Amino acid sequence: MVESQLIEMKILDQGNKFQEPKITPNDFRDWVRKNKPRTMEDKTMDAKTAVKKFIKSDDIVSISGCSFVRIPVAVLHEVLRQGIKDLYVAAGTRSYDVNMLTDNGRVKHIDAGYIIGLEVLGLPRMSRKIVEQALAKGELTITEWDNGTMAWRHKAAGMGIPFMAVRSMMGADGFKYSGAIKVECPFTKEKMVLVPALYTDVALIHVHESDIYGNARISSGAVVEDWGKVRGAKRVILSTEKIIDTKDIRKNSDRTFVPYFYVDAVVEAPYGCHPGNMPGMYYVDIEHLTEYRNACEDITGEDLKQYYEKYIFGVESFEEYLEKIGGKKRLKFLEDLEFLKVKPGGNSK
Amino acid sequence: MSEGYNEMELMTVIASRELEDKKIIYVGTGIPMLVTSLAQKTRNLEITPIFEVGGIGPQIPTLPLSVACSRTTWRALRVADSSEAFEIAQSGFADYAFLGGAQIDAYGNLNSTVIGDHDSPKVRFPGSGGANPFASFAWRTIIIMNHEKRRFVEKVDYITSPGYLDGPNSRERVGLPPGTGPYRVITTKGTFDFEEKSKRMRLFALNPGITVEDIIDNTGFEIIIPKKVRQNEPPTREELRILREEVDPYRIILGRGEG
Repeated sequence: MVESQLIEMKILDQGNKFQEPKITPNDFRDWVRKNKPRTMEDKTMDAKTAVKKFIKSDDIVSISGCSFVRIPVAVLHEVLRQGIKDLYVAAGTRSYDVNMLTDNGRVKHIDAGYIIGLEVLGLPRMSRKIVEQALAKGELTITEWDNGTMAWRHKAAGMGIPFMAVRSMMGADGFKYSGAIKVECPFTKEKMVLVPALYTDVALIHVHESDIYGNARISSGAVVEDWGKVRGAKRVILSTEKIIDTKDIRKNSDRTFVPYFYVDAVVEAPYGCHPGNMPGMYYVDIEHLTEYRNACEDITGEDLKQYYEKYIFGVESFEEYLEKIGGKKRLKFLEDLEFLKVKPGGNSK
Repeated sequence: MSEGYNEMELMTVIASRELEDKKIIYVGTGIPMLVTSLAQKTRNLEITPIFEVGGIGPQIPTLPLSVACSRTTWRALRVADSSEAFEIAQSGFADYAFLGGAQIDAYGNLNSTVIGDHDSPKVRFPGSGGANPFASFAWRTIIIMNHEKRRFVEKVDYITSPGYLDGPNSRERVGLPPGTGPYRVITTKGTFDFEEKSKRMRLFALNPGITVEDIIDNTGFEIIIPKKVRQNEPPTREELRILREEVDPYRIILGRGEG
């Protein structure tokens, strides 16, 4: 074919937050070749060690689950206690998890799908004020996406490609404040939006079950964007409710969510999603999230500071935190609530 | 409200009557969960709810608190992930989706992101969530909003999810799938649709006790008033009973309509 006959791909528009990706597919391949495990080694360690080894300030980070469901709270507590800051956060459907980071000034950039709100449980006022103030001071920047394009950006990274062509974001102002590109499809001539793959430095993933090597299962509930998050991250810290035998994995391999070679650390963290909902195990601790939201009503920030002091900075470990929120009795109540055996609002503390 | 129900209950009931049988419906956080659940229980509809992070066809047992919480996958037909859930909509399976926002204009464009400048806003909201892809892909979107002049504005500060943008054919012009867009707006004061030619919002039915003047006074843009205006029937005892006793017994969402 002579050159003049080649089809051209027309660029129609681009978002004003366009930026060159920090990690390209080839960078990622090189990283995988040099760094990712190829043998089944015991990767179990405590949250403290995992965070020390595998996350640092300035990292691009993604977080598992959605909102306050299957989020890696035990690991996030360590991230806060170890003073990690200036994070670039992938935030499709985020809520309490990313609030913990923004409330404490640990985030410099957000790729936003959904932030700040607690969905049905309301909009924490102080968290919102902190974000607004950080934006005004230029300490925080936000690039707009939506929950669909964020899921596709993670998926593209998981596929090892640089972008995904989708039909979302057209006509929306989100496009203007995004890093997306609008093109004419060379095949169909229809307009398409290209969203860049989001490769991350580290993914913090909480699951139901894993063996000591990181062969892991999400045993119940929505998978959200987690498959792409795990597969598109240079490093993966996997926290798990339970450690299971590899024999069990091999016997039921259709239930494996990701195999060992994606995973760098396995942290055993029972109730590691509290106050969130771990589908099939325990439900949302509504009272605790209400306590958090109420602390956010004080827009001097004093109550919120005390909340974090009480539950995170003033404790040594997640086990100590679990005692503070009401221990076994409270956790048993949340397990019963998950299976509709009790009604919410019961005083189990 | 003095008639024995609050505005949240009224909007939920009216919206639940709009749902058609044998459809696939994308359900977001909050009132849409109540509407879907109420429609299933009062009208025995054969509808398939989909939640954006993966719950497909659940038998929702109690009010979900999040689009991901375990109630959204309870006895589901399949548990998928977010990209699959949005891809199902992108492929044309989303018959209805519900939306809400802080501001709306005459073309049904919605803002749930910022008031003021984007990079240094007066008020920051959670942002699109699943709203923008829902608004892009669903054949029909139903918008549920509190009817206040400061929310019904001539121009939204920011288009989070596209309605008919600036008029007829504008969705197609920017590349959105043809034949999609806002279908109804359900507010504390009435039900609205979009006039075929101009794609501007038009009064469809008045809520009990509301006059045409109330609508005009509380709308910040010129709204089309047809010659004949329908009346929305108030919630029945049975609708209210099911809503209060079975759908949201702890008044997590319904309680917001108080006072």
